[in-house]
Amino acid sequence: MLLHPLLAFLRYDPTTNPLNNNEWSFPLLEILHILGFALSIGTIAVVDLRLLGWGMKRSTPSQLLKDTAPWSLAGLAVMLTTGPGIFSSDPYMYLNNQGFRFKMGALLLAIVYNYTIRRKVAMANASGAAAALVGGISLALWVSVVAGGLFIAFV
Amino acid sequence: MQIAHAIQSTDLGTAIRESALVFPVILTTHLACIAVFGGMILVTDLRLLGWALKGRAVADVVDGLRNWKRLGFCIMVAMGALLAGSEAEKYAINPFFWCKMITLALIGVHALVFRRSVYAKASEFDSTGVIPGRAKLAAALSLLLWMGMVTFGRLIGYYEPAQKTQSMIQTTAANPHS
Repeated sequence: MLLHPLLAFLRYDPTTNPLNNNEWSFPLLEILHILGFALSIGTIAVVDLRLLGWGMKRSTPSQLLKDTAPWSLAGLAVMLTTGPGIFSSDPYMYLNNQGFRFKMGALLLAIVYNYTIRRKVAMANASGAAAALVGGISLALWVSVVAGGLFIAFV
Repeated sequence: MQIAHAIQSTDLGTAIRESALVFPVILTTHLACIAVFGGMILVTDLRLLGWALKGRAVADVVDGLRNWKRLGFCIMVAMGALLAGSEAEKYAINPFFWCKMITLALIGVHALVFRRSVYAKASEFDSTGVIPGRAKLAAALSLLLWMGMVTFGRLIGYYEPAQKTQSMIQTTAANPHS
């Protein structure tokens, strides 16, 4: 991992991190993190369900994507600020944690997929088995991100 | 407390508590439902408030997502019951757990109060083009209640019973050199 030598070079000491020196900030970040991913994944799921042919059928996938995209992005922004905050509380532990590594891989894939293949298919208002597959993969990727995050505490 | 012990001592409760994999898998399902279906609750609330998906009909949002939210709610509650049931003694003395249960009960009250006057009338809002104050109130309260559910849910994990701290002090006092 690239971050290990960087952290060592910076002589980063997590015990000086304010997150480790009061009782409320760490749980607060976690709560915001959960609310952030509920917002982003929930809005993404609305479009994915539509690609699967379910849910808000009176709207087209492209209409739904356009309307939900700013909220997905807002949720992502919350996730991607609170997440690294949580990470900074104990970076060496996270970097060596299999759950965390899995989560980062899944997250990278999910974000890239979200703004490339999925976006193209939704904007083209695709339907049928191919569109369903694209929506299904998106849901599976985001659930994997959540699963990886949870397993950090159990592996 | 006896009830709590009885619940967690069932074969199912014991199996979940003692398995290395089952507990986190159930917790993952619980959390994934919060993300996917809880997020849909947020979407509905934001639509009723007139903040998000303004180009989509209110009825499309409310009716199109209704069954999905119901499905998600059932899975969330079932997984939550399994989690709480497997460690019933711990949960029974956890104030955040009871805060969460009270919030859940309030969500039930919210549904009873607003079901007919708001959620069954979504198409009316579309034809008049106005979302009434009552619907916005319902959405704002729903947002607050669900944010409360997430907050209390997460805080459950942070509660340490006073007893434990006390016994630690006693141990330290008994072994001053340890």
